[in-house]
Amino acid sequence: MKKLLGVALGILTAIGGFVDIGDLVTNAVVGSRFGMSLAWVVVLGVVGIVLFASMSGRVAAVSGRATFEIIRERLGPRAAGANLLASFAINLLTLTAEVGGIALALHLASSVEPRLWIPVAALAVWLVLWRVKFQVMENVAGLLGLLLVGFAIALFQLGPDWGELLRQAVPPSPPGTEHPASYWYYAVALFGAAMTPYEVFFFSSGAVEERWTAKDLGTNRLNVLLGFPLGGLLSLAIAACAAVVLLPAGIEVSSLSQIVLPVAQAGGVLLLAVVILGIVAATFGAALETALSSGYTLAQYLGWSWGKFRRPARAARFHLTMIVALLVAVGILMTSVDPVAVTEMSVVFSAVALPLTYVPILVVANDPAYMGRHVNGRVANALGMVYLVIVVVAAVAAIPLMIATGAGS
Amino acid sequence: MTERLVDARLHLLGRQVLDTDGEPVRTVDDLELAGPGGGEVRAGQEAHVAAVLVGPVLATRLFGGRVPDSMLPRIAWEDVGHVGTAVELTVGSDRLDADWVEHWVRERLIGRIPGGRHDPEGDG
Amino acid sequence: MNVGDLLDARVLGPDDAALGVVVDVRLALDVVEEPDDEPGEEEDREEAGRDAPLSAQARRDAVGSARVVGLLVGPRGAGSFHGYERTDVRSPWPIPQLVRRRHRGTFLVRWEEVAALEELPGDGAWRVRLAPGYTRLPPELR
Repeated sequence: MKKLLGVALGILTAIGGFVDIGDLVTNAVVGSRFGMSLAWVVVLGVVGIVLFASMSGRVAAVSGRATFEIIRERLGPRAAGANLLASFAINLLTLTAEVGGIALALHLASSVEPRLWIPVAALAVWLVLWRVKFQVMENVAGLLGLLLVGFAIALFQLGPDWGELLRQAVPPSPPGTEHPASYWYYAVALFGAAMTPYEVFFFSSGAVEERWTAKDLGTNRLNVLLGFPLGGLLSLAIAACAAVVLLPAGIEVSSLSQIVLPVAQAGGVLLLAVVILGIVAATFGAALETALSSGYTLAQYLGWSWGKFRRPARAARFHLTMIVALLVAVGILMTSVDPVAVTEMSVVFSAVALPLTYVPILVVANDPAYMGRHVNGRVANALGMVYLVIVVVAAVAAIPLMIATGAGS
Repeated sequence: MTERLVDARLHLLGRQVLDTDGEPVRTVDDLELAGPGGGEVRAGQEAHVAAVLVGPVLATRLFGGRVPDSMLPRIAWEDVGHVGTAVELTVGSDRLDADWVEHWVRERLIGRIPGGRHDPEGDG
Repeated sequence: MNVGDLLDARVLGPDDAALGVVVDVRLALDVVEEPDDEPGEEEDREEAGRDAPLSAQARRDAVGSARVVGLLVGPRGAGSFHGYERTDVRSPWPIPQLVRRRHRGTFLVRWEEVAALEELPGDGAWRVRLAPGYTRLPPELR
């Protein structure tokens, strides 16, 4: 029984932890402009992150080396240094978006201005990284993140035309009012939102720190295989709510209040409160993971001591890095930049950064000296090759599309 | 006694160095070679690895040039216990002067913030 | 001298022919038998293995001394990505195949067949000269 509870906890945490501010904003924007015609990208992204997360977890568990250590070893100092600069910068951008997301959600719940919530949110994130037993916080954030299922409840209560939603999705039929370039720009953005690089840094570092056994690897695989697709369904629910309420009314998504409008409409204040709590939890959990990733990448490149399970004094520069990253995020947000705009940028740049982490992992997963008998099988490699192409295409197309569409406007 | 062949750049340079408790120390930046009896390396004579050099060579590796030997912290090869996906030492990191920066940050900054020495996995 | 001095050093044959650059330095690590490696305890270790961290299964040898046994000479400096020309790994296609093509002609020469190590004046770069009658050995790691 206890074992079953443990397994359930893992899966539920994975579901609740899947959605972050990037998924929330991008799916809502996409739903409000393209209906369900980009649903296939969510499916593509979910399969990709399941593949990617399990591969990086397996590599880390078997070799005892986390992703950025591997990048450093394989690419040599110059190429790995360039990789670090890009990955760290994009990670920092994502962290800024997540902290901004916490503040926006808290602003929705109170009427206190977001700018006042920003330092509070960052401080709370730091306190957890500093003192709180990490597994506890991850479980709490993950389970509370499940409250985002309120979007699915709202969708049912809105009584949409399911046939219409399905028709928009399969085959993908974008509204005629949108330019094809915008369609593909948002396809890349949605892909980047689903396959966030920080997830991989976080996963692999956890596998090394926790010294995963074969059993742990199996548990992780199960969590990812069941949890992430269900999390993807939550993403689709967010998009569908926007498609049903915002699209016909021509409401553009530029703030969190528009994203939750369908929920308020369908379920009133109670459901809205539940969903806002879910948003706070999901973005808080993502902020924790992203902050840790900033520490992991820098520490692993330079060979410093790192780890969320180590006393801060035994991983001093690792903790200093996270503190500085949070301070920079706060600094950026206090310039009154729109966190939603930051989020939209961060997901596109995440797509650009994907090959930087994906290629080394795929290569190392095939290295018998590292992996022994756990090297990639033929299926994993076949899928891996397909996704290599997709990931590279998305990365190369992202910036030109961004310029061509003026970041989607 | 068996032998295992490794290539320095492929398998050793850039690898993580872990101390005897598994704590990361630095990365392998270079390997110091010595001839018979620890003397100079000469062509045609036996040569072996005398020490692992870990150190602030990042800038020189990126931009070229050489760091003077006196600035490169060295770990004697005798202190290396295992070589796998990382280089594992038989000594604790505190005993090495390879990491004065970490010590400095620990003493001056992190150690001064309340709770910095607290073990997050200790009491629940 | 350090391994870093040898890496990317130009390699000349006994007749001053340019043969390439030092791509890597091959070392032989003395693998020390661990004291608790007793036959007959294999089964107990298998049992414990299932609950042991997977990383404990990764190849990890206790090492004694590390002897220089040879130099790998190749057409290009900076080392090859993953050293694919020295292994027979085939996935993920086409990366190993492309790397092998790029570094074709890499060979191993034994340390005993190095005649001279010359430090060039000026930038402190080194140059390696091979002895007459040196043999080009295949670069594969066995």
